[in-house]
Amino acid sequence: MSNPQKTYNRFSIAQRIEHFVLILSFTTLALTGIPQKFAQAGISEFIIAALGGINTVRIIHRIAATLFILEAIYHAFIVGYKLIVLRLEASMLPGIKDVKDALDFFLHNVGLKKEAPQMPRYNFMEKMEYWAMIWGLVLMGLTGFMLWNPIATTNILPGVFIPAAKVAHGWEAVLAVLAILIWHFYNVHIKHWNWAMFKGHLTQEQMEEEHGAELEKIEAGEIRQLPPSEVVQKRARIYVPIAAVISLVLAALLIRFLTFEETAIETIPPAEANVAVFSQQTPTPLPTAAPTEPVNAAAITTWDAGIADLFKTKCGACHGALGGLSLASYADILKGGSSGAAILPGDAAGSPLVVLQEAGGHAGTFSPEELEIIKTWIAAGAPEK
Amino acid sequence: MRPILQKRLPFLTPVIVLLVALLVGAVVFLTAPGNVQAAPPAQTPDNSQCLLCHQKEGAIWQLPGGEGLSITISPEMFGGSVHAKVACQTCHTNIVEYPHPANSAQTTREYTLQYENSCAQCHPNQVKEIADNAHDRVKNDPTNPNAGNTPTCADCHNPHTQSTILKDEGGKLAGLEHAASARTCAQCHNDIYEAYANSVHGEGVLVNNNPDVPSCIDCHGVHNLSGPSASGNQFRLTSPQICAKCHTDESIMGKYGLSTDVLNTYIADFHGTTVTLFEKLDPDQPTNMPVCFDCHGVHDIKRVDDPQKGIQVKDNLLATCQKCHPGATPNFPDSWLSHYIPSKDRAPLVFYVEWFYKILIPLVLGAMIILVGSDIFRRLKTRKAKPVAADVEEKASK
Repeated sequence: MSNPQKTYNRFSIAQRIEHFVLILSFTTLALTGIPQKFAQAGISEFIIAALGGINTVRIIHRIAATLFILEAIYHAFIVGYKLIVLRLEASMLPGIKDVKDALDFFLHNVGLKKEAPQMPRYNFMEKMEYWAMIWGLVLMGLTGFMLWNPIATTNILPGVFIPAAKVAHGWEAVLAVLAILIWHFYNVHIKHWNWAMFKGHLTQEQMEEEHGAELEKIEAGEIRQLPPSEVVQKRARIYVPIAAVISLVLAALLIRFLTFEETAIETIPPAEANVAVFSQQTPTPLPTAAPTEPVNAAAITTWDAGIADLFKTKCGACHGALGGLSLASYADILKGGSSGAAILPGDAAGSPLVVLQEAGGHAGTFSPEELEIIKTWIAAGAPEK
Repeated sequence: MRPILQKRLPFLTPVIVLLVALLVGAVVFLTAPGNVQAAPPAQTPDNSQCLLCHQKEGAIWQLPGGEGLSITISPEMFGGSVHAKVACQTCHTNIVEYPHPANSAQTTREYTLQYENSCAQCHPNQVKEIADNAHDRVKNDPTNPNAGNTPTCADCHNPHTQSTILKDEGGKLAGLEHAASARTCAQCHNDIYEAYANSVHGEGVLVNNNPDVPSCIDCHGVHNLSGPSASGNQFRLTSPQICAKCHTDESIMGKYGLSTDVLNTYIADFHGTTVTLFEKLDPDQPTNMPVCFDCHGVHDIKRVDDPQKGIQVKDNLLATCQKCHPGATPNFPDSWLSHYIPSKDRAPLVFYVEWFYKILIPLVLGAMIILVGSDIFRRLKTRKAKPVAADVEEKASK
């Protein structure tokens, strides 16, 4: 009675394995889920890259979710067995006593109450976690299903349920992870290391502190009485087949849900259908040369009546915009260039332009007929109009 | 020593600043990439000699392949071009006299290709930029049926008429140039051009000459251009950033009353998250997740309220979803919040779920922290009152 090292069994091997499966699936879900919620954070990018990309992360997340739900189905089967076949006390059910315990626990801690609460087999802290887990399971399962099967969901519900499910799924996960870090880690790892889920037992000291009422019952010999074995067998013969069928149906439903719909096609649909990348415009037809009218020498007698056009076509390329001597306008031609006038009105043979053309070798030359017209025009005094 | 230096420092500072500024200025000046990186050599004979014949309108050289090539150079157009002062011979290196040497080109294409490397003499930077661009990749891919059709410099910039490209102080093309650039691409991408011309962007560029609106080059680049057929998955995965360049810029979007939340709301959603992560991890991997253009259209992009194509119209959006989600029913499109941030009026369910957790999380965690805190408080107090050793002794003596 007074040996603080005395140990008391808390959990069977099967329960400890359940807990291990829960650790595995929950941690995996958190590790693959939180980076999905905060995908743009640097650390999330790192985790996602380390796990092999977002698609792999999503697959791992779904495998862990499946494991989590399978564990829940198994747990329901076992709890049912304990309550229906063995008729054990439903020690996880919360009650007024738990609210009182929580209050007393707080008041005792801050020194307002001398006595610490004497707590039952599962104290309020554990019940809180257990029922939070059940709430989380249902909520995450439902919202997860919606996100996994959005087409099936929107067949029944309005589309806005999908983003709402995503928000709920994400924040519920944040709540669950933080609760585990604050509540669970403090209570079973930080304040003192609780071996119950590994070795299966607690020391007397820990029992006194956390399960005073339960310890009292054990010490008083009020251990949980199992019904006689023939009664157990009789009940089990009814319970086990029914529960097994229900569990199998649940498992089958789960598998059905995992493969419920093909949400999206796998291929990349073309962004742009029926548009040829290379499609040339019909080229603009090449311009054809304007028909050349026969030169009517008699009509070309003034600058305006045709002399200007002659200069433009024959000399304009150089003697115009490019600088130096310009032959583009009547004024320009009279003005001449840097070496003086180009034409001397009235003196065709003496005009430098005619001299140059007759000598040949200039880049641009008039045909003999054209030169004749020019000479006639100069001899006539090079009239403008 | 030290105080003297400190005393002198105020006088030294402006001098040092000035010297550094000069040095930086010199480096920037010397390394700034202009459009022309080398001066062309002089030639004989000069251009006027060539123009004497080549200014003749309607002059056509009949090529052996049957095509005619216009050999008319309008002195006005050439005189107004950036190359007015460049000698013909700079590019037409083999032509020094008349008659010209025989040319082996059978088609106009072959003739153009003869001058493929001419521009590099003066514009080596631009030639570097086009290396390995989308056109270059097609050109170097013998399996591509269009390998022979990729443009050379001259196909986009007619060397005889190309005038200085007008830009604003920010280096942005002036409205008319902007429209002209799209028409340049249209020469070979006419189907796309016609789709674009009817789009909200095309209308803005081609009809209104609005420089805010993108033409081809704003999304595909100019010389270093890229596209989905040549740059593959990478173009797809990086494309949201192309749209975001303008669509997250309040100074542009504000003018048209458009939201700048389009990128962050996209990234916050399942599709956008995936695309962003894919792009960060490996931009070359394929993805069937939609990017902007999968829903809004590519070249034929319309206003969201366009009755035929606008995806604000629910039937249009459903059809868009069904491209990838064949089983989608009329409720399905609402699962996407259409770039809206949930509020009391828009997607209230999402808004209230968020609100619920904004209360629940602090409440639950707060209660936990208070209880945990009280426990820590008691433990610290007890430990102070009686040291651990005494605690053990006392228990052992019980």
